[in-house]
Amino acid sequence: MSKVWSVVNKMHERIDYLIEKCPNMTAAPYNYNYIFKYIIIGDMGVGKSCLLHQFTEKKFMANCPHTIGVEFGTRIIEVDDKKIKLQIWDTAGQERFRAVTRSYYRGAAGALMVYDITRRSTYNHLSSWLTDTRNLTNPSTVIFLIGNKSDLESTREVTYEEAKEFADENGLMFLEASAMTGQNVEEAFLETARKIYQNIQEGRLDLNASESGVQHRPSQPSRTSLSSEATGVKDQCSC
Amino acid sequence: METVGDSVPNGTAPPRTTLDIVKERFKEDEVILSIFDAYQIIGHEYTNRLLALVSSASGGTFAIIAFSYLRTPPLTTVNELIINKVFAIDSSFQIRQDSMGSINTQQFDLSTAEDGPFKYYYFPTESSNYEDFHAKITSCQRSMAQYDPEAVLNFRWLNDYRQIGEVKQELKKRESEYIVYEDIHIFCATWNVNNKPCGDGENPLRSWLGHTAQPPDIYAIGLQELYAPAKAMAYEMVKTTQMGGIEKTWIDKIMASLHPDAKYEVLGTQRLVATMLTVIVRQQIRPQITRCRLKTVARGVFNALGNKGGVGISLQLNEGNLCFINSHLAAHMANVEERNADYNAIVQGMTFDDGRTISDHDHIFWVGDLNYRIQEPPGQQRPGPMSDAQTYELLLQYDQLRQEMQRGKCFEGYTEGDIKFRPTYKYDPGTDTYDSSEKQRAPAYCDRVLWKGTRIEQLAYNSIMEIRQSDHKPVYAVFRVKIKTRDAVKYKRVQEEVLKAVDKRENDNQPQINVEKTVIDFGSVRFNEPVTQNFTVFNNCPLPVDFSFKEKDIHAICEPWLHVDPRHDSLLIDSARSIRLKMHVSVRTIAGLLRKIRQSDNFDILILHVENGRDIFITVTGDYQPSCFGLSMETMCRTDRPLGEYTQEQIKQLINDDSPEYRVTMPREFFLLIDFLYKQGPKQEGAFPSYDSRQSLGSQFNLLRDWLDSWSDEPFPVNAETAAQALLLLLDLPEQALLEPFVEDLLTCSNKSRAMDYISLLSPPKRNVFMHLCMFLRAGIESQYYDLQQVASIFGRILLRSGECTAWMDYHSRCVQFMRLFIDNDMESLGNGNDGAGSGDRTAGLQA
Repeated sequence: MSKVWSVVNKMHERIDYLIEKCPNMTAAPYNYNYIFKYIIIGDMGVGKSCLLHQFTEKKFMANCPHTIGVEFGTRIIEVDDKKIKLQIWDTAGQERFRAVTRSYYRGAAGALMVYDITRRSTYNHLSSWLTDTRNLTNPSTVIFLIGNKSDLESTREVTYEEAKEFADENGLMFLEASAMTGQNVEEAFLETARKIYQNIQEGRLDLNASESGVQHRPSQPSRTSLSSEATGVKDQCSC
Repeated sequence: METVGDSVPNGTAPPRTTLDIVKERFKEDEVILSIFDAYQIIGHEYTNRLLALVSSASGGTFAIIAFSYLRTPPLTTVNELIINKVFAIDSSFQIRQDSMGSINTQQFDLSTAEDGPFKYYYFPTESSNYEDFHAKITSCQRSMAQYDPEAVLNFRWLNDYRQIGEVKQELKKRESEYIVYEDIHIFCATWNVNNKPCGDGENPLRSWLGHTAQPPDIYAIGLQELYAPAKAMAYEMVKTTQMGGIEKTWIDKIMASLHPDAKYEVLGTQRLVATMLTVIVRQQIRPQITRCRLKTVARGVFNALGNKGGVGISLQLNEGNLCFINSHLAAHMANVEERNADYNAIVQGMTFDDGRTISDHDHIFWVGDLNYRIQEPPGQQRPGPMSDAQTYELLLQYDQLRQEMQRGKCFEGYTEGDIKFRPTYKYDPGTDTYDSSEKQRAPAYCDRVLWKGTRIEQLAYNSIMEIRQSDHKPVYAVFRVKIKTRDAVKYKRVQEEVLKAVDKRENDNQPQINVEKTVIDFGSVRFNEPVTQNFTVFNNCPLPVDFSFKEKDIHAICEPWLHVDPRHDSLLIDSARSIRLKMHVSVRTIAGLLRKIRQSDNFDILILHVENGRDIFITVTGDYQPSCFGLSMETMCRTDRPLGEYTQEQIKQLINDDSPEYRVTMPREFFLLIDFLYKQGPKQEGAFPSYDSRQSLGSQFNLLRDWLDSWSDEPFPVNAETAAQALLLLLDLPEQALLEPFVEDLLTCSNKSRAMDYISLLSPPKRNVFMHLCMFLRAGIESQYYDLQQVASIFGRILLRSGECTAWMDYHSRCVQFMRLFIDNDMESLGNGNDGAGSGDRTAGLQA
């Protein structure tokens, strides 16, 4: 397996080299070391699109229309000095699209599962969303539970403690957040990325697997080790 | 070419010209001389390009940068420009008006040695003047041509535009916002050691290397004439251990003699025979050095032996590039030209293996025994032991190096500090006395330190008299250099902003299309009546867009009863495309549709995928108007009114109902068809119509469908052929074969009574239909209306059509065999003679 990976790495290096050498391709440079694919799932109206918008634009989108399909957003973040491009798929929550949206789970490195703290029904449906996620993603997919609309304390129907217990029981990361105020939104997306990155570092995530949801771009060979270069040159005769 | 950016939304902002916007793309020391609107011709396509003629102050060179647009012009922000092509205006650069058989003269080619030609087309307008653009390029080419044709033009600044990513490019451009300058002390030293050992004691060189007020950050120490045994002069031999030991001894002594107040480590040492350069850095700055490369250029005998020549070390400290050279140039008073040649050869040859030349560094320090002498002013060869500044000044007037530098023959652009010390050559070893041997060599400033670059300040320049073992005195110079450094906090902030802008640009420029509607409602849909709906997709985003319907399952973008045309297409900006959606509930698709209806409230959901963008779900709905075709016998037996009066929702309930209670013993529709065919018998002499499930059903069929689905009192509307076809469909279309789930058992039954055991286990509607059908067929065969073999074959395959048995080798003959048990009178009497009365009853039933 490691042999295969070294071949893949070589291929990437070759591509990097070609991109550097081929000025026509300057429009498509790699600005990042990794790509992580995320999906956002949950009942209709829990604020999935608003969370995405808040994360990518740092703005609250009032009167957000229902998502009829799958929206797509990207943001480059930094984890441990590595640039990571998050590719986020925001899915339609309507029940009738449930079957179609299942095809988007495949290859997600992170799944943000959202409910609305002011509507108990959206919380009650979590187990069904969780079942889908577990069935349709791979075991290393990081699942992050978000209780959205934390700004609407007065109409809360689901307590923090209850949801926290659910998250702990199912091994999910969990935060209450508000797409309106932006509270904890950044944290939820970034924590998920950190966890994925940690999984990569600890070898729990097989980058070779096509469904890992992670693509690796070896950084350009600008900062190779100094000593190897120095000795390499030393042996060369200039005459 | 002063196109005003006319789409500034609010009136308050001053209108910015295209030129203003393009400027933002470049660095402060880069000037846009001209911009020109053109189209690049690729194949048969013309694509908008913006050409910018740019000059760089730092590089002293010119280039044309071709941008493509992310959005349709006019330009509103700099983010919409993507670098498409970079043309350095060097000697190989060409701009040619295309005259090769083109009908159009408004074309030109751009090419360089590496690339091209690239074809461009322009549309002459008042603001876009080709003659003007061309003239400016020509004038740039002319000014380039004034340089020595051998000179290497500096196009390094272009690398920022052609080799690095968007983020890096943007960061580079905003460098001034996060770059700070850090003071670094650099100690440069040179000493021709005259093949002598370095001296005894723990730190024999401390007086030379370790005496400054504060510890230097970097030492660059050049030595010449390291002890080399005469036999080992050949380069290869000198490389070996013998010399390595001497090198190590020297470095150890040097390390011991450095400034005592700091810890140091050797960054790199490069030696060419007896000429050695070692760069030593304070341990605390070591992590900030990200690159270090070494290189030698051999000169001397045959320009290859390496007894003369230069060694260089290139390094990057934070964002600053430093280069140190130690050289030993040709000796003897008369050999000025050789020395100049050696210098030039070192400059030419000193290309580090990352491609960097000496001049590609921000800060360059050149030390060595340059061997330039004092051109004998008569009577002044020997300065007194206590010479004063005037004496040095006088001597330096005759210094060959200064003279040659003034004549532009060597060390162009280099600076040397004031010399306030005695000539460093040639002493009687062990003394401060000038050469007293027979040769009586004239004293000279052989050993020098020069520098070139920005933000360098010399703090000291001197020789050390009390180190006496060589015939040269060691020389040193101390510099304060302001090194370009990233302020980590500011850099992080700028980087975040840049990343955010790049993200925003990517998200904002996502290709998008709009669809007229996301729910396509076919209204009333009936069996065997294709219907179509059109809807429009249009591209109102500023990019051409490719769209396609995404495959949901393997190879299918939609359910089989739907047909989408086109499945994919490209949409230019502001253009629309009508998508035709056809729905056909056919013989082939009815079973699937009924299954779908049972589970879902729509006919299908299509995924309209936009390349690099979002997906749109298109829900396809309508009211399927129920018909008997495709329904199971059980379902038909539960109806209490004509099927045509059911709604889709009601039929859904009816299909999902699995209670064992039935309103009639067999479907009325089936009974009516059999009844009609039985009565028509004589007219159908000899053959039951052949049946092909793929053949289209004519309009006659629909008349019959309506007649059946409405329980009409009208006379039977069609001929026997259509009725026979309908009968076959009624049996063939339901998801389950009539004889399921006992197909396999029945096919292996050898006698009728055994088969009857299974038949009796079928649901009452199925059982009744089967028995009724067999009686009808038997009667027909008996009356010789139908051919036994043909009928057994047709019905056998329909009634027993499911499961793995269809793959059996003798499946077909077994089907026929089975049917014959029930419809062949000979077999009947043979197998079950006492059934005559019963069959008679049922035949009577047919006539009811």
